[in-house]
Amino acid sequence: MNFYLANYSKGQMKIQQMAFVLVALMIFFALVSLFYFSIRVSNLEKGVVELREDEAKELVRKLAASPEFAWTATDCASCIDLDKVILLKNRKAYSGFWNLDYLAVERVYPSKQGECSKGSYPNCNSITIINKTGAFGTPAWSYVALCRHEFSKSNYVRCELGRIFAAGKGIQ
Amino acid sequence: MNKKGLELTFAWLFAIIVGAVIIVLAIYATTSLIKTERKVQETEIGKQFGILLSPIETNLEAAKIARITFPDETRLINNCRLVGTFGAQDIGIATRSRIGEEWTEAGVPSTFYNKYMFSSETTQGREFSVFSKPFNMPFKVADLIFVWSEEYCFINPSTEILEELEALNPKNINITTSVAECSKQSKKVCFTSSGCDIDVSVSSKSVKKGKQVVYYEDSLIYGAIFADPDIYECQVKRLLKRSSELSLLYIAKSESLAPRGCSSNLESDLTTYAFETNNVTSSIEFREFYNLAKTMKEKNELLSCKLF
Repeated sequence: MNFYLANYSKGQMKIQQMAFVLVALMIFFALVSLFYFSIRVSNLEKGVVELREDEAKELVRKLAASPEFAWTATDCASCIDLDKVILLKNRKAYSGFWNLDYLAVERVYPSKQGECSKGSYPNCNSITIINKTGAFGTPAWSYVALCRHEFSKSNYVRCELGRIFAAGKGIQ
Repeated sequence: MNKKGLELTFAWLFAIIVGAVIIVLAIYATTSLIKTERKVQETEIGKQFGILLSPIETNLEAAKIARITFPDETRLINNCRLVGTFGAQDIGIATRSRIGEEWTEAGVPSTFYNKYMFSSETTQGREFSVFSKPFNMPFKVADLIFVWSEEYCFINPSTEILEELEALNPKNINITTSVAECSKQSKKVCFTSSGCDIDVSVSSKSVKKGKQVVYYEDSLIYGAIFADPDIYECQVKRLLKRSSELSLLYIAKSESLAPRGCSSNLESDLTTYAFETNNVTSSIEFREFYNLAKTMKEKNELLSCKLF
């Protein structure tokens, strides 16, 4: 059997040491940058979510004045035309119009039960116009008056207390 | 005499080369990081600017005015796109930097589908005037947002505009009776004469900017004054596409109210209006459906349960 013994000079040892230091340095920098980028990306995501929430908050205050919702027959700043909103539910063109993941109108008083459909309207509680994802967090909301033409005895305008909900787009 | 000179061992050479590479990489990484951070910041500001426009929109008011101030000189980039059903409003921001390149490409633009901003393609300044007015034809279509930073001089505007501007008192719009009274750097807007930077013809409802002429209705007169003609035409098309969708919504409303004893005679007019507004190619076509819009407004006024 033959045994071979590696013989390293002092210079070779130094080069090896330096290489190890360099590798260690690279790993250190890689770890630091990985740590930095993970924090930065999470902050960025948080920032995006906050901005979208802000957008939803500002929007929900103004939606009652938007022509798709506004009760324009008489001057009323926060009156929503429920006869129009129920029709908006089936209009696909509006699904991305407000940059929202969730948009709904809910009756507060007098309270009723169930989601509105063409058959159950107006004896129902809520109209969901947009619902893209189940995980939209806590939506921003605002009180509104839900107005509609009522024809039970005579033709008159009936307004009830309601709320409008909106949640900004999430990060996909 | 020492003839040995400087001894450059392999270890030294290796350390110098690797050190240089590390320094170059560090400088490159830092510069890239600064550029990326700047882009991120500008993107965030663009989105914030768009969000800030929401509270300026009107409810029952005839008009609203506000000023948005940035900490440093800023460029606001307005881009209008005709995509999808409603088109899109892109808002980009570029901020001036005191380190390195003064102006770089704007951050990623923020897209809004429900906003209509009328301004130059690039508006530069620290303070921006924002003026909002609803656009009604024959029903409310949207809130128009007019943005400018430079000084304007309105020469002999119509009584309606004069009263409105006097009530709102915007900081950088001067109202005068002759061009001579305007400051040199201001953009001159003539209402009763021609030869200014912008000539408004109230009789033909048109605005001439350079060689381009655009046509307006209702509050779009301000849009025609403050916006670049290309942006104006694009926003008009977007507004009319929304008009078309709203017309379809009102047709559906009319159909749903009719069996409950509240029919309107507006369905055929609304169908024609929806078709015409959806196929508009230029603002000159306003003339073609202005009378139809006027008729619909009059018919709606007479209804016991109004559609709009």
